[in-house]
Amino acid sequence: MLVWFLPMIKRWLGVLGALCLVIAIPGTASAAPQEATQSARKVVKVGVTQAVDSMNPFLAVRLVSGSLQRWMYSFLTVPDPKNLQPSPDLAESWTTSPDGLTWTFKIRTAKWSDGQPITADDAAWTFNKMMTDDAAKAGNGPAVENFTSVTANGQELTIKLKAPQASMLDIPVAIVPKHVWEKVTDIAKYEADQYPTVGSGPYVAVEHKKDQFVRLEANKDYWQGPAKIDELQVIFYDNPAAAVVGLKKGDIDLIGRLAPPDFESLKGDDNIVQWNTEGRRATYLQVNHGATTSDNKPIGDGHPALKDPRVRQALHYGIDKQKLVAETQNGLARPADGSIVPPLYKSFFWEASGASKIGYDAAKANQILDDAGYKKGADGIRTMPDGSRKLAFRFSIHTDAPSEEKLAEYLTGWFKELGIQLTARRLDSSKFTEETGTTALFDIAISGWSVNPDPEEVLGTHLCSRRPTASGQGGGTESFYCDPQYEDLYKQQQKELDRPKRADIIKKMQERLYADAPVIALYYPNDLEGYRKDRIASITPIPEDKGLLYGGSSYWPFYTVEAVTKDAAAESDGGPNPGLIAAIAAAVVVLALGGFVLARRRQGAADERE
Amino acid sequence: MTVVIEAAPARHGLLRYAATKAGGALLSIAMVVVATFFLFRMLPGDPVRALAVGRNMTPEQLDLERARLGLDKSIPEQFLHFVGQTLRFDLGTSYEYKRPVLDLIGERIGPTLLLTGTALVLAVSLGIWQGARAGWKPGSRFDRFSTAISLVLWSVPTFWLGLLLLMVFAAGIGPIPGLFPTRGISSVDAPDGFGYVLDVAQHMVLPCLTLVAVVYAQYLLVMRSSVLDEVEQDYITTARAKGLKDDDIRRRHAVPNALLPTVTLVFMRIGFVVGGAVTVEAIFSWPGLGQLFYEAIRVPDFTLMQGTFLLITVSVILMNTLADVIYHVLDPRVRSV
Repeated sequence: MLVWFLPMIKRWLGVLGALCLVIAIPGTASAAPQEATQSARKVVKVGVTQAVDSMNPFLAVRLVSGSLQRWMYSFLTVPDPKNLQPSPDLAESWTTSPDGLTWTFKIRTAKWSDGQPITADDAAWTFNKMMTDDAAKAGNGPAVENFTSVTANGQELTIKLKAPQASMLDIPVAIVPKHVWEKVTDIAKYEADQYPTVGSGPYVAVEHKKDQFVRLEANKDYWQGPAKIDELQVIFYDNPAAAVVGLKKGDIDLIGRLAPPDFESLKGDDNIVQWNTEGRRATYLQVNHGATTSDNKPIGDGHPALKDPRVRQALHYGIDKQKLVAETQNGLARPADGSIVPPLYKSFFWEASGASKIGYDAAKANQILDDAGYKKGADGIRTMPDGSRKLAFRFSIHTDAPSEEKLAEYLTGWFKELGIQLTARRLDSSKFTEETGTTALFDIAISGWSVNPDPEEVLGTHLCSRRPTASGQGGGTESFYCDPQYEDLYKQQQKELDRPKRADIIKKMQERLYADAPVIALYYPNDLEGYRKDRIASITPIPEDKGLLYGGSSYWPFYTVEAVTKDAAAESDGGPNPGLIAAIAAAVVVLALGGFVLARRRQGAADERE
Repeated sequence: MTVVIEAAPARHGLLRYAATKAGGALLSIAMVVVATFFLFRMLPGDPVRALAVGRNMTPEQLDLERARLGLDKSIPEQFLHFVGQTLRFDLGTSYEYKRPVLDLIGERIGPTLLLTGTALVLAVSLGIWQGARAGWKPGSRFDRFSTAISLVLWSVPTFWLGLLLLMVFAAGIGPIPGLFPTRGISSVDAPDGFGYVLDVAQHMVLPCLTLVAVVYAQYLLVMRSSVLDEVEQDYITTARAKGLKDDDIRRRHAVPNALLPTVTLVFMRIGFVVGGAVTVEAIFSWPGLGQLFYEAIRVPDFTLMQGTFLLITVSVILMNTLADVIYHVLDPRVRSV
């Protein structure tokens, strides 16, 4: 009954072999049409290792989607490429009432990509939608939390606030066209997959294949003038190593957010520029200094010794951050002498200096602990002053995170010199989040935060109100911190509309975190990217002086990007001809196949002769 | 005439057999639904907090999200809701994508079936062909060579092999040109029509090759050992005595009888085809279910994990049931038991 099966298999294998040949020879498949269309168009391909979660700006939360929003829509303001200060985007200018509760923005006269005029009504509709429809809060809800009302009059947008808010000029909300979006009945289910999209940014999305790519074309009606390239492609890779291969091969032209090992693997390729600048992230230790719930009841099982600021300070002295960067980050980070705001944000960055600076000093750390009465036992491990408990701490890290594993090794070694025992506790990400953010079942944990040009968001993660309730409601804390001085400074900076004065307050907040040590900053990872200089002629980072290419809160790099023209590219296109090599390879395979078939025939004949 | 008389009760028996098996499968599926609910509720961590890692979310917003996902209700309430939903083929809404899980699965099942289906057909063909030949003449050069190669490939980690193929044949090393694309199912500017088919085929070569290379050994070994069993059988000797050609004996007598265990194996694997190949899809950025599952774990997106998990389990159960029934048809010995 199944006799037909075997000869069929042989035939299939033959067909497959032939098909492989056809597919493998460049030019037979997609290669030829690609080249024909590309010669006329200037295309830049950005590789990303994060899939787009939603094209609907009211729902999207991922960084890649945030970048797309910056390219497709204008916001009220945008960080200035030179100094990252808020500068006009869709809002040409703005004024504030003396009490700081009323903001009036003048919306510029410009057009949506479908030719309709942009008015303040579009912006008012966007904000009102977020204020009135819970579904529209999913992406950026906190941005409008402090709004009382938003109204429009011609090109004038008026926002009234519940309380003064200095971060009003960094509202991360894409303004969408009312005439398109008011037709959407259920925002929670709307995918925004009508292409081309109607937007006001430098690009218009024309195609999106989920988990594969987004194709954007330059918006010819963009109010600053069209971008210098015709098309921007955002190409998704699931795997950073494959993306690096894609960059080396030229399937993509640029990739951002690389891990140190992937970044280093780009070394030695003449066509690739390794982009290594200050990043937007801080990596720190979260110390359980006596976690409490939002109604000030103790929660969790943190070690009592960590409630003592002197112990936390001793730990800080016991960490060699220079060595940590060299050994765990391949040197591609900056050791932290500050707190949670990285040095990329010059105006808000604070760094300890002089006597207040805590450098690596094991002797001093031991001195502090001795003075505080934590005596060493026979085994060299210190105990609580009342002798009740040893100073043995757990260090919560993520499973499958080699760099954290390494970090734990170094910290364990250094803390041992202080008479403190540290044991790594590996947790999968959801358990990690639960224990370090809600139930406080930890002593010390690894953490970090990517900071926006306005640092209010990260500062807010250390407020009393962010602690969870006993039943695990609410939340969002990064430290279980609740400090009157810090709270007071937070409120001050919210009201302070003078930028330098506000920056001073924010620096004081960081100083407080540094000295009190609910978190201990370890290093600021560098922004690691790579791009092909045979494809990208120039690209301006944000900020322009050693900033980010991909992942900054601005359209600037990809608005200013210039592609290498085809003529210039052709000259540099050396190396062996892939077509010729493929043809030779094909010939070899054909010969081998032929030989194989012939041999089989003989074999068959021999079988018959038997 | 006797044939006709015998066939009628046999068909009747088959129906009854199939009905029993289907009933058992339904029961298993019901148990899986219950288990899925509690399994994913038992996982540590608050899904909303997990979703909010590194994001600016106020306590009010976190509570809003919990309400949206129905996590503010009691466990029995959640369970009833879940069962009701599942019975209506509603797998809930993904936390991360904020879209119905069934829609997300629907979008990705095509690419997955294409890739894993093709790979299964190729692996089974290759395995059966090599296994039959190897088992027919055990200890021959062909046997030693093909068995050794398949075992080596079977032992190689999928991730490593995939990346290696990617680096060699997609990027190109030394004289080997980068013939294949580094990612995805099609090029961004793929042509329409037949050109598109070729483009997809070109994208499929490396992931398919990786999948085949890693799994075909199991078919080879099963086929080899069952052919080996047949070689000693009396009917083979009879066939030889009749003067049939060696090739014909193998093809027409030994292989059909030896195929049965392989059929079972194949059907068990078909169940897993739906689940995709998480590792291979992740390496080659193949937009299929495996990739979706991988993303769901990475977030972690509980409804999405729950939905894909349910789909994979149900398809394995269904395919196992089908295998049982087909086995019943194929092998008279099973029928008589």
